Amino acid sequence: MTVYDRNDLPEELLNLPDSEFEKAENDCSTDERFKTEPIGFYQDALRRLFHNRLSVISLCAILIIIVLSVAVPNMTGYGYTQQNVKQKNLPSKMPGLEQLGIFDGTRILTNIKKSSINDPKRYPEGCVLEILREYKAGRQEVVDVKVDYYRYCGVPEGEYHWMGTDYLGRDIMTRLFKGTRISLLIAALSVLTNLIIGIIYGSIAGYYGGRVDMFLTHLAEVLDGLPYIVVTILFMLWLGSGMLSIVLALTVTGWIGTARLTRAQFYRYKHREYVLAARTLGVPDRKLIFRHILPNTVGPLITRAMIAVPGAIFSESFLAYIGLGIKPPEPSIGILLSEGQKMLLQYPNQTFFPALLISIQMIAFNMLSNGLRDAMDPSRRGED
Amino acid sequence: MFKYVLGRIGAMLLTLFLVMTLSFWVIRLMPMTIFENPEVSPEVQRRLEDRMHLHEPMIVQYYYFIEGIVTRGDFGTSVKIRPGLQVFDIIRERIPPTMLLNFFSLLISIPLGIISGTIAALKRNTWIDNVISFLIVIFISVPSFVFASLMQYVFAFMWPMFPTLYNAQAPSIWEAFHSMILPIVALSLNPIATIARYLRGELIETLSSEYMLLARTKGLTQQEATWRHAFRNSLVPIANTIIPLITGIMGGSLVIEKIFAVPGEGGLLVDSILGGDHFLTVALLIFYSLISLVTIFVVDVSYGIIDPRIRIGGGK
Repeated sequence: MTVYDRNDLPEELLNLPDSEFEKAENDCSTDERFKTEPIGFYQDALRRLFHNRLSVISLCAILIIIVLSVAVPNMTGYGYTQQNVKQKNLPSKMPGLEQLGIFDGTRILTNIKKSSINDPKRYPEGCVLEILREYKAGRQEVVDVKVDYYRYCGVPEGEYHWMGTDYLGRDIMTRLFKGTRISLLIAALSVLTNLIIGIIYGSIAGYYGGRVDMFLTHLAEVLDGLPYIVVTILFMLWLGSGMLSIVLALTVTGWIGTARLTRAQFYRYKHREYVLAARTLGVPDRKLIFRHILPNTVGPLITRAMIAVPGAIFSESFLAYIGLGIKPPEPSIGILLSEGQKMLLQYPNQTFFPALLISIQMIAFNMLSNGLRDAMDPSRRGED
Repeated sequence: MFKYVLGRIGAMLLTLFLVMTLSFWVIRLMPMTIFENPEVSPEVQRRLEDRMHLHEPMIVQYYYFIEGIVTRGDFGTSVKIRPGLQVFDIIRERIPPTMLLNFFSLLISIPLGIISGTIAALKRNTWIDNVISFLIVIFISVPSFVFASLMQYVFAFMWPMFPTLYNAQAPSIWEAFHSMILPIVALSLNPIATIARYLRGELIETLSSEYMLLARTKGLTQQEATWRHAFRNSLVPIANTIIPLITGIMGGSLVIEKIFAVPGEGGLLVDSILGGDHFLTVALLIFYSLISLVTIFVVDVSYGIIDPRIRIGGGK
């Protein structure tokens, strides 16, 4: 191979046409491209989450409940405080299912005077469907009858209360989903405020360390000793029962865990070389905290937030149940349950539907957060 | 260790003082009358208010309040729920039913939780494990008051095997116990599931650890190794769930006691808040805080005792 001086090229080389040139193929100038897509941590976690059948089912259930809680209260045609004393304690009646003999708005009335059945004032035309049993109680002839309770109460044909009505004649389904909406809202709000306060507090304690950390950690420790129920009750007494005090109570007791987690993560990452490099380049503390270290804590924080959601939903309904939560005209699953509890033996449908909904909701959220925790587990990176 | 314990006790006392102060101010600054009874003549009422220092400035009342508790253990007198009675006595009176229920619940839930958790871990990924894990999710997720209502409906109404409500004045011990079964079961479901879940997770982790392999290598059978090494080590973390059960034996569940009409602490707290009996509420809040603080303290200290590796402040 001949080596030419660039400034002293021979004539024939200087006048070579462009077509004679060929691009040099150098092996090290281009790396071989990866055949597969690069997968980040969150993408990987998400994939693992969607491979878990239970998580997907729970996610669907949660989405359905959210959609229902937004849509249903506007679709039933009843207001959630709309009372109708003539139509109280109606059984549930659902279109479609009524042909099958379930949820058909019938109820069995026992110990009815036989003579009164034919009185059209008390038992309107066609409301007695079937006489189940005739017997004598003393000298009276009494019967057990199956009645169409909707006709019995004079509800117009074609009007349905899917889950029945309560002791004031309010539509339970409207109230139930309105209550679900409120409880989801409370859960979201309280978890969000928890995260914000906890992250800021934990970042400061974890990043600055030393005396600041000591003071902040001890302060949190003192506050952590306050039992959740005591804090909640104090807030209820101070601010009155309502959404604000529930959110505040849940925040006051919840942020400490978030702060502790964030602080631990900061201790783990703040001495890494890349942080040192950034600091050497003159990056200010604020930016170091939020741009360089905090993103490392996002995974565990998402898991924690997700686990806190069913806890918040439970607390809300629990407080409403014992009469310290949402104020009664406003609906809450807890209130529906405690009202239903009083009528449990006579009208079980008033307890059944709220109980079913809150159970599904709690199970779905717990399953999803379990799935999320497994999916976010760094030691399982690359599995599946 | 000693220094650590002292520090913890200091933090505890601080928290307790915080609870006293907060509950006093929050409750006293509420726009409610502390003491009102139409049947009492104004003269008597004025003298009663005098005796309770209700005419003094707030800060002086606060002093009397703290002084009464610290020096004489005097929490004041109930004014609405049981007028005239010492708050302390009312609380003490309510302890036995709560304690009895919680004790039996403890007796069921700890062994059952441990057994089911162990079985689930040993039979991992079989149908037994799946069933147990499914039940654990159900029992943890579904609120206790839903279970309580359900059990009341099914076992007391549809098939009347048990009485609907707790019966404190039952003529015989057997009848009293009979009426306690439903609340006990309702109280136990959640602890069983919690213990089982923790133990299952721990045991699965320890079973695959290296010291288990070593134990097998040195000649222990799988059973011996599981019992002597894996099982014992897995019990350490679940102290975290068992100790609160033990220390919380005197603080009743608020809803379960309400549903089954148990005359215990939980029901008393709800009644006193809804009834506006301030002295009683304050005392109960302090009572509940004390229980919770003792729990945290015992958990922290016991960790150092059960597992020497994590003893805090023990030098290098």
